[in-house]
Amino acid sequence: MIKIVKRDQPSRAIFFFTPVLAIFLTLVAGGLIFFILGFKPFEALKFFFIVPIADKYGFSELLLKATPLCLIAIGLSFCFKSNNWNIGAEGQLTFGAIVSGGVALLFYEQEGFYILPIVILAGAIGGMLYASIPAILKTYFNTNEILVSLMLVYVSKLILDYLVVGPWSNPEGFNFPETRQFSDSAKLPILFEGLRIHAGIFLALAAVVISWFVFYKTYLGFQMKVSGFSLKTARYAGYKGKKMIILVFLISGACAGLAGVGEITGPIGQLHREISPDYGFTAIIVAFLGRLHPVGIIFASLVVAITYLGAETAQIFMQIPKYTGQVFQGMILFFLLASDYLLFFKIKFIGSKK
Amino acid sequence: MNTNLKISNVTKIYPGCIANDNVSLEFNSGKIYALLGENGAGKSTLVKILSGVIIPDEGKIYLNENNLKLNSPLDAKKNDIGMVFQHFNLFETLSVFENLIIDSDEQRESLREKIDTIMKKYNFSIDLDIPILNLSAGQKQKVEIIRCLIRNPKVLIMDEPTSVLTEQETSELFLSLKKFSEEGILIIYITHKLKEVMQLCDEVAVMRRGKLVSVSEIKNENIESLANKMVGQNLKTIKKKKAKTSSDQLIKITNLNFTSEDPFETNLMDINFSVNRGECLGIAGISGNGQSELFQVLSGEIISEKNSIEFNNNYIGDLSPQERREYLMAFSPEDRLEQAAIPQMKIFENVALNNFKSSNFFNNGLINENKIKEHSKKIISDFNVNTDNIELKSQFLSGGNLQKLIIGRELITSPDLLICFNPTWGLDVGAINYIHETLIKINEQNKSIILISTDTDELLKLSDKISVIHKGKLSKIMNAEEVTSEKLGILMGGAN
Repeated sequence: MIKIVKRDQPSRAIFFFTPVLAIFLTLVAGGLIFFILGFKPFEALKFFFIVPIADKYGFSELLLKATPLCLIAIGLSFCFKSNNWNIGAEGQLTFGAIVSGGVALLFYEQEGFYILPIVILAGAIGGMLYASIPAILKTYFNTNEILVSLMLVYVSKLILDYLVVGPWSNPEGFNFPETRQFSDSAKLPILFEGLRIHAGIFLALAAVVISWFVFYKTYLGFQMKVSGFSLKTARYAGYKGKKMIILVFLISGACAGLAGVGEITGPIGQLHREISPDYGFTAIIVAFLGRLHPVGIIFASLVVAITYLGAETAQIFMQIPKYTGQVFQGMILFFLLASDYLLFFKIKFIGSKK
Repeated sequence: MNTNLKISNVTKIYPGCIANDNVSLEFNSGKIYALLGENGAGKSTLVKILSGVIIPDEGKIYLNENNLKLNSPLDAKKNDIGMVFQHFNLFETLSVFENLIIDSDEQRESLREKIDTIMKKYNFSIDLDIPILNLSAGQKQKVEIIRCLIRNPKVLIMDEPTSVLTEQETSELFLSLKKFSEEGILIIYITHKLKEVMQLCDEVAVMRRGKLVSVSEIKNENIESLANKMVGQNLKTIKKKKAKTSSDQLIKITNLNFTSEDPFETNLMDINFSVNRGECLGIAGISGNGQSELFQVLSGEIISEKNSIEFNNNYIGDLSPQERREYLMAFSPEDRLEQAAIPQMKIFENVALNNFKSSNFFNNGLINENKIKEHSKKIISDFNVNTDNIELKSQFLSGGNLQKLIIGRELITSPDLLICFNPTWGLDVGAINYIHETLIKINEQNKSIILISTDTDELLKLSDKISVIHKGKLSKIMNAEEVTSEKLGILMGGAN
């Protein structure tokens, strides 16, 4: 007989084990789906998860995809930890990219060491500005930040669309919906010749270290933790709730904006319609898969980045649509939420009493 | 006809606790039975089993020798078991009659006749055609009772029925219950209030930690003996020494008003009072009459006009809780698990919630963990919190220990004024005694207390002055010696 028993104490080991379990279950379910589609499951999974990162180039691509995911997820964890549901990182990324791209275009004929820092800063500010909208509406007008931040994603995408088709489109670009290429001074340096991995990864790593310090060592981190558990307690303790909501949204927006900068000044080098394959949304999964813990988020971003690469490989070698990648991302979140049940309950096998 | 209800070897196990451990009991009509026990003793589980809400893991229930299968509340109704829960199950916007006809299969006319007869017989006067929301708590309870009586129940179970009633409504209820009992209805009365058991019941069954500890006749018991059985230890009674009256005013509230945007909150109207040093001001009232709002206004969770609160010659009405703490105020809110502490956080983290500049818990925005831990250890030993592990998550502390931790956290900084709201709610008698002793000690050290409580006995025991809050208004402030619980009851009910 199987019996479900409530745990006396949520186990710390299980806390970090469930993400691993979720990934395992995703692989099993993914294999099953491939089997139903008529592929050999193991071979398909190999194409999906091993082939893409088997060489140096593949590994660089993995880090390239993981960088924005990690950066955004770190930012989001500031919000999620303190009970603020910012799901509009994609919009903040886009707006950050627009602002920094605009600045980069101003300097398109110029060279100089000062250009890149200005461009990066502009992206962070753009993301912060865009994130401040749901934050201010929430604190002063009691709106729901989930709705506002989500809807603003589509607004920012339309603004980008308008700009690259209209005023900012490349005059010598044969009416393609894209801007001029940025000058080399406005681009993040490539780390290794021949590979696409760029200096943006240092931004992500810096965010990891800073966030760890803030979460666990500072008064702000403590206040976020308290607010995350109970807003009533935060109010009783006398924390300035409104200030904190705005602050975490700004941090989160800045991170998403920086991720946007990393994309357009890194692998893309210009603005066009498709600057992000929904990194802003996928990062929500990354944040939770990493348990809102900076180190967890590093691992989670690598795992989820593989699904992007695997989807492309699978499309090329197996003629499976690349949207399979999103199926895998969805399954990871699904299984993670399901296996979180084990945090609070354990399964006991009991011999039948007779 | 005699009714005999038998509970035989009932066991119900929840994850992590045995709610009912092999309980057997027998009841006969003609008597009123008390089922007595502290919160969490297993009374409610047993009652829910009897009313079909919960299915026991083991054990049987017999009514007049018939084995009952109670798989749903409907089964209980069909078997003539009526139940009045602590929280009312009424549709607020429907009329009394509409509420009663919902689960009745009778015709409108005959039902109305039946209700009229019942009301006449037991002297109930309720207008059947006004909506429930216009009724007082006592009247709502009567509607619930009528709903049971319509079905001519053999057994009537009352679960903590007086928790929302005034003293007057309580004595009316007792009269009705005695009448029902004379009519042959078997009455089971669940409570943790000893006085009520002594007043009303004929026999008493005491439960402790899921087990039945004793069944006895009331005439062989007294309040102390029942209390000891309920708690399982001998209690010393505590008495407050009459405080030296000081005329040194500490806090003064002038024309304080609060209007809420939330329709479920109570507005505070023109609150005026003052507390001297070394004094305890008790604020009585039935819950939901503005106590929570008053607490929040005093603690600074709700900001009011600067001049409305004067503390130690400073106007502080517009300050936040944290700023008020710097002026040596301390607060212990009602809700231990959702406000005063965070169960998922460690003990020392919960200690850091009460943060003064001089306590140096946070320097330059960084957490000073050593300082917090040192401080926590002191609280744990000074206030008898039953653990020595400050890394323990607070959810593993019992209610009593958690409350000691909270009170300790608030008091260790020796504030001039402690404002507490239902500090002993839901605690066992041992912990209640400890908290009461602590509060008396504060007064003896010439510090002041504002005690907002729904427990009249507690207020009479600890207060020097008492006022009653009703619908957001305070009554005049009375000296505690002049007040009796009857008088408080009248004021709590809204009369002058």
